[in-house]
Amino acid sequence: MVGYNFEEELLKVGVETALKAGADEAIAKLIDQKKHQIRFSNSSIDVNKEWSSYYLDVLFTKKSRFSLTGKINTLTVQDPDVKRVKKNVPKHVDLLKHLPKNKLYWGMDDGSYTSYRSLDIYDDKIEDFHEKAPELVKKTIDSSLQNGADGVSGVIHSESSKIGVLTSYGNGGIYRSSFCRGTVRAFNGRDSSGQDIVVTRELSNIDKKFERAGRKAGILAKKGVGSKEGRAGTYDLIMTPTVAANIFGNLLNGTNPIMMVSGMSPLKGKMNEKIGPEELTVTEDPLIQEGLNSRPFDDEGTPSKKTCLIKDGELNSLIHNTSTAKLWKFLGMLKLKLFRRPKTTSNSNLTQLGLTGTEENPRTLMPIPSNYRFNTGSYSLDEFISTSSRPTIYLTSNWYTRFTNMSEGEFSTVPRDAMFLVENGEIKKPIRNLRLKGNLLEILKNIEGIGKDPKQVRWWEVKTPTFIPHIKVKDCKFTKAKGQ
Amino acid sequence: MDGKTLADHAVDYGESLGAEYVEARFVNSKNENYFARNGDFLSIQEKSSRGLGIRVLVDGCVGFGSVDVLTKDEVKNRVESISKMAKLSKRETPIEFSEEKTVQDTWKVPVNIPFKDISKEEKQDYVKRLDEGIKRSGSKRFSIRNKIKNRILFLHTNSKDKYIVNSDGSNIRSDESFISLFTILNAKVKDSSEQRMLGLGACSGWEWLKEENIHDFVVSESKKLVSTVEKSRSVNINEDIDVVVGPEVSGIMAHENVGHPSESDRIIGREEAQAGGSFYDEFLDIDDQDPLDLKQSEIKLGSDDVSVIDDPTINRSPGFYLYDEECVKARSRYLIKNGQLNELFLNREFASVFGTHSNGAARSSSYSREPIPRMSNTFFEPGDHTKEELVEDIDKGLLIESFTEWNIDDRRYHSKYVGLEAYLIKNGRVKDQMIKRPALELTTPALLNSIEGVSKDYEYRMNFCGKSDPMQPVSVSTGGPYLRIRDVRLG
Repeated sequence: MVGYNFEEELLKVGVETALKAGADEAIAKLIDQKKHQIRFSNSSIDVNKEWSSYYLDVLFTKKSRFSLTGKINTLTVQDPDVKRVKKNVPKHVDLLKHLPKNKLYWGMDDGSYTSYRSLDIYDDKIEDFHEKAPELVKKTIDSSLQNGADGVSGVIHSESSKIGVLTSYGNGGIYRSSFCRGTVRAFNGRDSSGQDIVVTRELSNIDKKFERAGRKAGILAKKGVGSKEGRAGTYDLIMTPTVAANIFGNLLNGTNPIMMVSGMSPLKGKMNEKIGPEELTVTEDPLIQEGLNSRPFDDEGTPSKKTCLIKDGELNSLIHNTSTAKLWKFLGMLKLKLFRRPKTTSNSNLTQLGLTGTEENPRTLMPIPSNYRFNTGSYSLDEFISTSSRPTIYLTSNWYTRFTNMSEGEFSTVPRDAMFLVENGEIKKPIRNLRLKGNLLEILKNIEGIGKDPKQVRWWEVKTPTFIPHIKVKDCKFTKAKGQ
Repeated sequence: MDGKTLADHAVDYGESLGAEYVEARFVNSKNENYFARNGDFLSIQEKSSRGLGIRVLVDGCVGFGSVDVLTKDEVKNRVESISKMAKLSKRETPIEFSEEKTVQDTWKVPVNIPFKDISKEEKQDYVKRLDEGIKRSGSKRFSIRNKIKNRILFLHTNSKDKYIVNSDGSNIRSDESFISLFTILNAKVKDSSEQRMLGLGACSGWEWLKEENIHDFVVSESKKLVSTVEKSRSVNINEDIDVVVGPEVSGIMAHENVGHPSESDRIIGREEAQAGGSFYDEFLDIDDQDPLDLKQSEIKLGSDDVSVIDDPTINRSPGFYLYDEECVKARSRYLIKNGQLNELFLNREFASVFGTHSNGAARSSSYSREPIPRMSNTFFEPGDHTKEELVEDIDKGLLIESFTEWNIDDRRYHSKYVGLEAYLIKNGRVKDQMIKRPALELTTPALLNSIEGVSKDYEYRMNFCGKSDPMQPVSVSTGGPYLRIRDVRLG
């Protein structure tokens, strides 16, 4: 670790205090974070927000002499200093004796890493970005209004973090990260809207990015005016990156072993099976410079690396941390699949586990995806449209994806914003009020074409940053609610 | 410095900087989670946290911020920065907060057995015993095959004390306690499988588990899940039929089709880029209508049998509170009364937009989230019938007791509910024959106008309602009575 003496000292005290109190292994993670957000609607700013967080998470474990699994506990020290850490950590290490073995804890990365890939993921322009953001909102709104909107809503969120990790094996370091993301939703009357998003670490041309998003949303809102009631039936489907990231992201989340053991993944038992077309390759990649969840190492100090989840249409790998990799290897041995020797994919994360989705939730160590990246194909959006000989729906945005049974992948999702009927290679008319119903595995299998225009998607309905182009899928079922 | 002093300081300092309104909320919270899969614990964690949320109104613009470093300097810095940021917003139409009665009060969730009095071992033991009960419900005696392949149990407890103070002179202290049990069960028989997600919870202490006999209820639901997998058959019904839905289904309908569109911030458009708008914007005029008394406007949304209430004051309910997060006294609200739109959810910001007073609907999920209009316990008002009476005049129909998949468009108009535990009704009787995944896909007016007959008995369920950005999940009740829905076509 270079520099950052005070943070280094805190991390060291966190780990050493835990070990001294009787823990066998420990991780200390320091978060010093500032977030800003502006929300706007009806073409005016509603609220301007600022949050700061400064805390040290300490994870400590106790190995078991007669078992492969161990005990695990975590503690969050707010406003940490050496005195607070030394006072609080031993009490919580002591609590380990009241806990049973954690069947998901099989150890952490005990390798020794001397260097990590340097990532350029901090832009110091973030420091005063929030002061310029209201003006950016105004430009975005103006851009939308000038291109067909009569009202604009949205959000601009920026984040700056200093993150430090140290494990009892001496791995980790300190890095800075920053990003900005936003959503622009433009309206033209009650029945027509369009949406676009901005997701970036690079703040140099941020004005242009938001103005472009505002313009695109405005144009879509205008194009959607005069929409007709859609008809239920089977159509081919052209998904924008925003839609594709939501639908396929739900499937990719099933590469998480935790989802699998919880009965929440349709990918169980599909390893090395053909689940998509030959043209489809998807990676999980924490090293993409622009990726919002990129980082040089995970929370076990394992150097970040790219993992191929789907290779040429075949399910190739899950995401793992050290514990789930060991668990999967053990389960493979029980099934006499001795050749299966999964390793950590550098996805370990000291993450909050809870239903309330706020900082108040306790932390635990589990695999969490960083960024998904789909390979690109050869089609432009225009080509997707012009080569559509069967009735096709071009869907620009969706939300509220819910499952009948997550282990089967049966779902439906609700189109929102501009949606168009494409016939004989042309956009025929804007349509509204349909629902997409399907099965994640079938939709993946039915991919007919992959676009050449990838975009990073991260917004309200997509939590894992996903680099994905337009995607065309054949034979998708659309239903419709009855009643006026 | 203690939380109350810091909150008071934030308000004083904000006022000294010239803010029109300042509010501060200190929350000291303790969470415990017990997360088990098939009897093995995957995570047992606890966390204590303390933080202060501050909201200011400056030049008609709102700034919000939070701190978890609880020093006077940090609070001062945050008040300064959010006041400055609010000023930069430069709205043409200034935001105002409605005038409300000044109050100083305390309230608490009644608790007989605080979570701290129960050892970690005892909490683990509860989860283990419940898992064992569910496991037994999925297998025959002496059989090693279990039809419930996956049993996920998530026991969560939260206790917190909160202090809210504002520059109007109000302050409220509360002592809150919440417990929930969330289960995900996967039952599989041959090639058929079904998944059940069941949320139960209460603003209560540990005693809730025993008093409500949660163990036996969850076990009986798991038995029903096994029956559903074993007995459900897909049936094509291509005619209009009557459908009776149970408390769990009527609860989600009240929440999605009536509760969400009644949120004033949605109607005005503040959630349009996130949780969506409301189809109520088609017939509401903010200049001419009183959102606390919409009866005058005679906006008919459902049959005369439809009355929907939201009531945060129900003791022990998942959405229980006696003062909202803006120090406004909580009260029950008729959202729809005898089919007519009656009242909306208002916080102080949107009460002011409508030129009236708040009805105490402001909630926030954490000290780090702003208070916005939310539901609490939303349900169809119970009627006069028994469940049997609702069924007895149906020649051919369905009884849907629980649901799996559901969703609704962002204006809350086009909804879909897929039944899980569903039975055929024939000649006025519920048959043993179970129907696989019947889908009710109806517009809100079509649904509400088709309701004819409401039972007098009701049950509640717990769920977390999501809204806003950053997401603010808050606990709500989603139960209610049985409803008879006439002449609907399955999807």
